[in-house]
Amino acid sequence: MDSSILLQILVSGLLMGLIFALIAVGLTLIWGVMDVLNFAHGEFLMLAMFISFWMFSLWQVDPLWSLPISVAALFATGVLTYHLIIKKVLNAPGLTALLATFGLSILIKNLAQFFWTPDFRHIQGAILSDKTLSFFNLHLSLAEVVAAGGSGLITYLIYFLIFKTKTGRAIRAAALDRDTALLMGINIDRIYALTFGLGGACVGVAGALLMNFYYVFPGVGSLFTILAFVTVALGGFGNITGAFLAGVLIGVVETAGGVFISPVFKYTVVFVMYLIIICIRPKGLFGW
Amino acid sequence: METSALSLLKKPSALIPLLILFLLPWAASNIHFHHVLIMFMLFATLSQAWNVIGGFAGQVSFGHASFFGIGAYAALVLLKKFGLTPWGGMLIGGGLAVVLAVLIGYPVFRLKGHYFAISTFAVAEIVERLFMNWDFVEGAIGLPAPVLKENLINFMWYKTKIPYFYIAFVFFVLVLLLAYRIERSRLGFYFRAIKQSPDAAEGLGIDTTRYKMVALIISAFLTALCGSFYAQYILYIDPPSVLSLDISIKIVLVTVLGGAGTVIGPILGAAILIPLSEYSRILLGGTGKGVDLIVFGALILIISVFQPQGVAGFLKKTGKQ
Amino acid sequence: MMKKLLGSLVVTAAIVFTFGALMAEAADVIRIGSIYPLTGAIASSGLRSKHAIETAVDVINNKYDMDIPFARTEGIPNLKGAKLEIIWGDSQASPEVGKTEAERLITGEKVPLIIGAYQSGVSKAASFVAERYKMPFVCAESSSAELTERGLKYFFRLAPTDAEDSIAFFTFLDEMKKKGKKVERVAIVYENTEFGVHAAGEAKKQAEKKGYKIVANIPYPFKSTDVKSEVLKIKAAKPDVILQASLLGDMMLFAKTFKELKVGFNANLSYCGGYHDPSFVLNLKKDAEYFMGQCTFSPDFITKKPVLGKINEMYKKRSGVDFDGVTIEAFTSVLVVADSLNRAKSTDSEALVQALRSTDLKTPTLPGDGVKFNEKGQNIKIISNISQIQNGQYRVVWPGEMAAAQMVWPFKSWEKR
Repeated sequence: MDSSILLQILVSGLLMGLIFALIAVGLTLIWGVMDVLNFAHGEFLMLAMFISFWMFSLWQVDPLWSLPISVAALFATGVLTYHLIIKKVLNAPGLTALLATFGLSILIKNLAQFFWTPDFRHIQGAILSDKTLSFFNLHLSLAEVVAAGGSGLITYLIYFLIFKTKTGRAIRAAALDRDTALLMGINIDRIYALTFGLGGACVGVAGALLMNFYYVFPGVGSLFTILAFVTVALGGFGNITGAFLAGVLIGVVETAGGVFISPVFKYTVVFVMYLIIICIRPKGLFGW
Repeated sequence: METSALSLLKKPSALIPLLILFLLPWAASNIHFHHVLIMFMLFATLSQAWNVIGGFAGQVSFGHASFFGIGAYAALVLLKKFGLTPWGGMLIGGGLAVVLAVLIGYPVFRLKGHYFAISTFAVAEIVERLFMNWDFVEGAIGLPAPVLKENLINFMWYKTKIPYFYIAFVFFVLVLLLAYRIERSRLGFYFRAIKQSPDAAEGLGIDTTRYKMVALIISAFLTALCGSFYAQYILYIDPPSVLSLDISIKIVLVTVLGGAGTVIGPILGAAILIPLSEYSRILLGGTGKGVDLIVFGALILIISVFQPQGVAGFLKKTGKQ
Repeated sequence: MMKKLLGSLVVTAAIVFTFGALMAEAADVIRIGSIYPLTGAIASSGLRSKHAIETAVDVINNKYDMDIPFARTEGIPNLKGAKLEIIWGDSQASPEVGKTEAERLITGEKVPLIIGAYQSGVSKAASFVAERYKMPFVCAESSSAELTERGLKYFFRLAPTDAEDSIAFFTFLDEMKKKGKKVERVAIVYENTEFGVHAAGEAKKQAEKKGYKIVANIPYPFKSTDVKSEVLKIKAAKPDVILQASLLGDMMLFAKTFKELKVGFNANLSYCGGYHDPSFVLNLKKDAEYFMGQCTFSPDFITKKPVLGKINEMYKKRSGVDFDGVTIEAFTSVLVVADSLNRAKSTDSEALVQALRSTDLKTPTLPGDGVKFNEKGQNIKIISNISQIQNGQYRVVWPGEMAAAQMVWPFKSWEKR
């Protein structure tokens, strides 16, 4: 095969993978710290994308400038979700939290359909729209490059927060052993709320960046949710670097698998790879 | 500790509702009403089957649709291509499901908690994708049932749902009795031990992998039988309708809502969720505003937040007072 | 205590069930069942069809001065002006729900006829039910040729099949070949669902029959997160022409990815799907230009037949967009139903089926100007055109005698615009 196509596969896969990674980082944070499967994560993404869309289509605010708004809104959504819902189901058998977030995801998805109709929406004419960087035979969508770069940046920021700050230490403590952390005087309630908020914020960034090149409709979350879960499991629960690298791996495997085997199996290849890796390393690539 | 399954039927609290259920189709000849009853029993049975591995043994599987789909396809494909009666196809489907269970069980049971759960749906997605692209089962185009005479051997009826109702009723009762028996037997004890603390169970000398496998085999077989029933009931299947993640999730949802790990949980969950989704769609779905699903989602949310132990837990609590 | 609670819960459940059982009583207008995907993945399309059908009901039930069948009268004349009422069933885009809704509409709501159901898979399942109850099923828009090959006696379909569309596409390509254009290398791209797989099958049949080279056969999973691998494969195959069977979401991704990865081709021809959705142009604006597809409606028709403009305005008020092929087929299906009710002078299913079989309805709403069914239930008067998006409008570009605009060939790659 043409070597330029090979390189294109690698690069395109990398870009897509970084976007999966960003969505996964928020999820792995919540999962690692509170052991909660946030089924509504995809719907949070959808909300972030819709915020970007409406800001652009009603007030011509470019998604790049409305990004902080998406982030703030989703941070608030995360905190609210924690206080109103998650807090109440933390002590229940694990499946109940799942049920709750699942109910939440159906609710959000259909409220979105109720208010915004099921129509597909897309942005044209934003700063990043439709610009391609071309090096010889390699073509990269500028919007995707920015999204990928944003993903890297945010992942680094989260990593920095968790490992190099006092708050981060508190989060890690709560994740490791909740009861001891409580004894040590850590306000678990606030830490959990913060974690959920951060998870939401990550997806807020992802949504704002995605809106530059993707389309949104109330059901868009489900497309990404499944891959996000697999990414998190592959990287190891609670492991930020793991989620990041797993996302990249999945992006590349998906694109390569699609080209070399068949596009219908592009996700199947990812799942098979997941199963193989998880059998060799039962806690994911970097799980602890 | 060993109780006869049939002793459940001696209790009036079980016998009376079952009798009412048995007679319910005659309360109204509305076909849609019969449909809702059949779906209720189907999902109660499916969830009870899932309960064996997910509720009693605590291994949460999100991939049960693969067993369901295998059962569905086995019945219809063997009927269509070889003229085999669906009752035979059903048993073959059950067998194939068991084979799949064993194949994936051994490697995947080493995984804990969420890793296991995600592996189950990775497997289910792979199975669905394979069926989508397998020409022998007509792949994405879908498989309609051949048009045959309405009778028991062909396992199909067109004008009435009553035979389907009673077949489903028999499945429902049998699986209920089985679950009741398991719960009160040594097997059930081992399952609960594995669920509570796998390490402690190992320490007690329980071969956890073996017993998890037993639970999965029972669960897979019963789920496949339900799939075969479904295929013969709907008379048209395609991979999204019998192999998708939605079905796996629905089964888990019903069980957890009602109370996983209890015998009555799946029944309560199905009794609430199935009529809710059917009637909300009928009453509100026609507007296209998704109001029925808004109500659905909100109710699931409310129940899970205010009754984390599921409806069964709520009943137990109030029962103790 | 627990037992008492349990008992009462069961009794309550029984009451709820029974309530459900007793729902729905007949009213005294003419009630017609309609099954469309009103929620779920394809809700936006399902809702538009709903608006089209409601527009048709409005036209029939009220008095309008226009040359559309039943516009100038109120209701069904031969049934003493009885008005139509649509009883909706939401298929949720799933064949089993479609089947259940068909059963409910027939046995519970007691409708004598059903129209629907958008997706071929759902139409298949729902029409089986209708056939068993000996009720007519009028399918406006499902394209799978198989629907009229099942030997059903109560099934009728208005839209052209993907078999006819394929024949149209390749007849068109033959013409281009004679003009010296490069069309030999054909790539077929399709979603891995009933719609896509069936359309692709028909395309392959025609391609082989007429000696075209299929350089790429690309099925892909419906609703993808991205289509990079698909487009890279297409690019590597260097096709002259791409035949596409995609719904809106994936179609948008394909268009953008073709642009991004600089894939060149002479034409992209779509089966009835995303290309036709008004949101395609609305969302992609200039990037949607020059795509082509099968066509059963275009604003060009309004220039030739101004009455279409009037109903377009009515439809637009409800849906916010212009008619497209799928929605005007839905609109016309209601006219067909009204016509058969009128000629049957009855709401009895058998009489309706007889009337439907002998339909010969003149209507300006479809190309071919009429609806007539052959013994398989297929509308033989419908003609498939080809349209192309130019300046944000669907312009009819083929066949020559119907063309309203000059075709732009080859497909102008984005740098050249």
